[in-house]
Amino acid sequence: MSAHQQGTELDLSWISKIQVNKPAVLRRAEQIQARRPVKKEWQAAWLLKAVTCIDLTTLSGDDTASNIQRLCYKAKYPIREDLLKALNMHDKGITTAAVCVYPARVCDAVRALKAAGCDIPVASVATGFPAAQTHLKTRLEEIRLAVEDGATEIDVVINRTLVLTGQWKGSDFIKTSTGKETVNATFPVAIVMLRAIRDFFWKTGNKVGFKPAGGIRSAKDSLVWLSLIKEELGDEWMKPELFRIGASTLLADIERQIYHHVTGRYAAYHDLPMS
Amino acid sequence: MAATRTASRACEIFTTLEYGPAPESHACALAWLDTQDRHLGHYVNGQWLKPEHRSSVPCQDPITGENLASCLQAQSEDVAAAVEAARASLENWSTQPGAIRAQHLTRLAKVIQKHQRLLWTLESLVTGRAVREVRDRDVPLAQQLLQYHAVQAHTQEEALAGWEPMGVIGLILSPTFPFLDMMWRICPALAVGCTVVVLVPPASPTPLLLAQLAGELGPFPGILNVISGPASLGPVLAAQPGVQKVAFCGAIEGGLRLLIQEAVWDETMRRLQERMGRLRCGHGLDGAVDMGARGAAARDLAQRYVSEAQSQGAQVFQAGSEPSDSPFFPPTLVSDLPPASPCTQAEVPWPLVVASPFRTAKEALAVANGTPRGGSASVWSERLGQALELAYGLQVGTVWINAHGLRDPAVPMGGCKESGSSWHGGQDGLYEYLRPSGTPAWIPYLSKTLNYDAFGLALPSTLPAGPETGPAPPYGLFVGGRFQAPGARSSRPIRDSQGSLQGYVAEGGAKDIRGAVEAAHQAAPGWMSQSPAARAALLWALAAALQRREPNLVSRLERHGVELKVAKAEVELSVKRLRAWGARVQAQGCALQVAELRGPVLRLREPLGVLAIVCPDEWPLLAFVSLLAPALAHGNTVVLVPSGACPIPALEVCQEMATLLPAGLVNVVTGDRDHLTRCLALHQDIQALWYFGSAQGSQFVEWASAGNLKPVWVNRGCPRAWDQEAEGAGPELGRRAARTKALWLPMGD
Repeated sequence: MSAHQQGTELDLSWISKIQVNKPAVLRRAEQIQARRPVKKEWQAAWLLKAVTCIDLTTLSGDDTASNIQRLCYKAKYPIREDLLKALNMHDKGITTAAVCVYPARVCDAVRALKAAGCDIPVASVATGFPAAQTHLKTRLEEIRLAVEDGATEIDVVINRTLVLTGQWKGSDFIKTSTGKETVNATFPVAIVMLRAIRDFFWKTGNKVGFKPAGGIRSAKDSLVWLSLIKEELGDEWMKPELFRIGASTLLADIERQIYHHVTGRYAAYHDLPMS
Repeated sequence: MAATRTASRACEIFTTLEYGPAPESHACALAWLDTQDRHLGHYVNGQWLKPEHRSSVPCQDPITGENLASCLQAQSEDVAAAVEAARASLENWSTQPGAIRAQHLTRLAKVIQKHQRLLWTLESLVTGRAVREVRDRDVPLAQQLLQYHAVQAHTQEEALAGWEPMGVIGLILSPTFPFLDMMWRICPALAVGCTVVVLVPPASPTPLLLAQLAGELGPFPGILNVISGPASLGPVLAAQPGVQKVAFCGAIEGGLRLLIQEAVWDETMRRLQERMGRLRCGHGLDGAVDMGARGAAARDLAQRYVSEAQSQGAQVFQAGSEPSDSPFFPPTLVSDLPPASPCTQAEVPWPLVVASPFRTAKEALAVANGTPRGGSASVWSERLGQALELAYGLQVGTVWINAHGLRDPAVPMGGCKESGSSWHGGQDGLYEYLRPSGTPAWIPYLSKTLNYDAFGLALPSTLPAGPETGPAPPYGLFVGGRFQAPGARSSRPIRDSQGSLQGYVAEGGAKDIRGAVEAAHQAAPGWMSQSPAARAALLWALAAALQRREPNLVSRLERHGVELKVAKAEVELSVKRLRAWGARVQAQGCALQVAELRGPVLRLREPLGVLAIVCPDEWPLLAFVSLLAPALAHGNTVVLVPSGACPIPALEVCQEMATLLPAGLVNVVTGDRDHLTRCLALHQDIQALWYFGSAQGSQFVEWASAGNLKPVWVNRGCPRAWDQEAEGAGPELGRRAARTKALWLPMGD
């Protein structure tokens, strides 16, 4: 993660001046999916980049130490060794960007990663995820406990009551949603958020990161997300420091695509290690 | 496995994250060209036509310069053969029930869908345009056009009763056209029952492919014929007997003019440059590319413009840098161009954008309307009222609000001023290829002996012819709301049916026409802004005034030799016509529903401006009123030249208009008709000209009006039955008296 930024004074007039040309945003969103196809070795390289930006996530009611351990191992070895070797990327330290779990599982995650000899951060969702309708005191305590257990990144759910009454906060990253809504990361929403990040950068020089989460399942999607970032913000944002994809099954699809690129065949489900 | 090579590349790309090419194979396009042995002919009557002894032109890839095929250059006989084929199939095609034609068009749409890859690959390969543009925009739109017009054909019997297809349509396309331009024109023509002959510049395989797909469909092979030949064959096509109308599509430069309000200049320029930096130029057939190339000629034009702009002090921003010998021209932003520089007046070539600042919306409107181009424009503003004000004020055919470049088959597309006056798409597009039922087919008449330089030039001298008998007619030219003496200070005699002198009328000349047009322009803004109710009231008042003047008018007509009963009927009908047009005045607009857009598209009907009318000799009062009324009802101001033999009833009407109508609304100039016609036709600031006179005069009017491309309506010497409802007060008059504007209002928040 990049160094914690200073931020600026809250200036609500910036928010009131915002205008969004929705039909134009919808058109741009449609375009972006068709305009920048990435093929062959470019695709393989981009997919690996996407892997390094994934926050490998498990947020299920039945998470236990065993599936957390499997997840953390997959985070350290996201792509099968021989496939990476074929691309000459086996010694580049390809891991996912982080592992994202519930606060109660942070301990297990930290332990599993240490056992695997991996130093990627553990991110925890906190603050009454996903609805954030708990008391401020418990929400703050949750964050404290998660950090104590070893989490170094926190996905905060903003208090929508405050938003709807115009009381805003700042952050290092902005995320499309908790991923647990009916509609999560869509391109029109992303375009508006990315433009806001760009405007903020132009005004203050501070770079805020972007994390789409929820519903990103296919490798093709991840390529579109990367090209969206490239088109709207530029190459500096296409790194785990400023871009994360909150996903769980995406990794499997990426691995399958890379398998196809390397071998020319479509993998069966059992050909690749599960996460 | 080429793993090691790709492996090392993957490493590199992981760091740079460049895009890499996404090439589309052009194998299918080459395979199709191979079926013709890379030697394309014409496609006539469902078959390839390859006459011998024709020169051929190479068709080259505009980016690599590679020779793809050779295309024949047609000669006159080929054009004649194509027209003959179109004529032969016309009878069959136009008498089919609309439902059959609809079915045929739908089948053609399906065929295009099945072979769309070949179509877009060929088009992208040959024109150099980015394949994603052709694939994602042009080809789907082509299918939609066919579907829309199939629906129109299906309902033609009820919806367009009273109109029949014109006949064989000739279409001349310019060298830089995309095949979509051809589709916009042939779809309405075919749908209403016309057959088409298209003259394409050589080295255009895509229209030939389309013709082949259409020809192989089955029962109607000769409805679409494509000839490839030089532009010099245009007159040959137009002169073929049987060709009822020639549609001409001129070269369209692709550049844009951007007017930015000063307050947001910096922000806008910054965002624009940022976005331009992301555009990718490359080979058209690369799927990840935004812009291709359009060949050396287009590139040189753009380069010349940029150099000239720079020499005139402009700032030039180019995203990325291309070596000077590359076929690609980078997207370019030109700013700080002085308003008086020649570059500001010239058309902006592709792929340039010229940005200029403005202070107020009023200034922006003046700048935008201050060019001879009247095609389309987009207005970007968050304030709806302001955006609409600009949209209504812009003199263009299409306005988009907070969007640009949206197209739909149901929305008419056209223009005004030098962007031409014909329409494609929507209902307006259909009428281009229709004429009122029962109108005789037009025989091409081209008098080779007509001397354009001499027609109407000389003003014959008129001498006194004795004393006036009977009451003297009102004297003078009715200009600016009152009777004025003519500039030439002479008069011409008007004789009655017995040969005796009825009176003298003023001899108008060029200066008087100029004054009349000026007066009409002065009155135009006021009249245009009148509500429909106010216009209706004025026309009704004029009708009442005419009714009061009935005895006077009847006696004038009688002296001219008209029977009493007929004269009374003429006056009565004239009064009725004024009332009828008054009643028909409504702000004619309607909202169209468009397929992929949420939000309305308004089809507005706007006045043309100053309308000049040369009235016929037959029905001297009725025709005068029948032409005046629709013109006024639709918000135009008028300059009229009344009947030559009997102008006096018109002058009597002027006496009423002097008290009732605002000054300059109607101007009447008497004099030598040919001379006055010449002055009107050559005048660059008249927005439309209606001529009802001789065949030679009609020819001159059409020739001369090309100067400012004003729409003309001529009778080619054929008298019109003004007393019949269809010809004297039919919907055709209303259509011609106004122009359309499409206003797009995408919605969403």
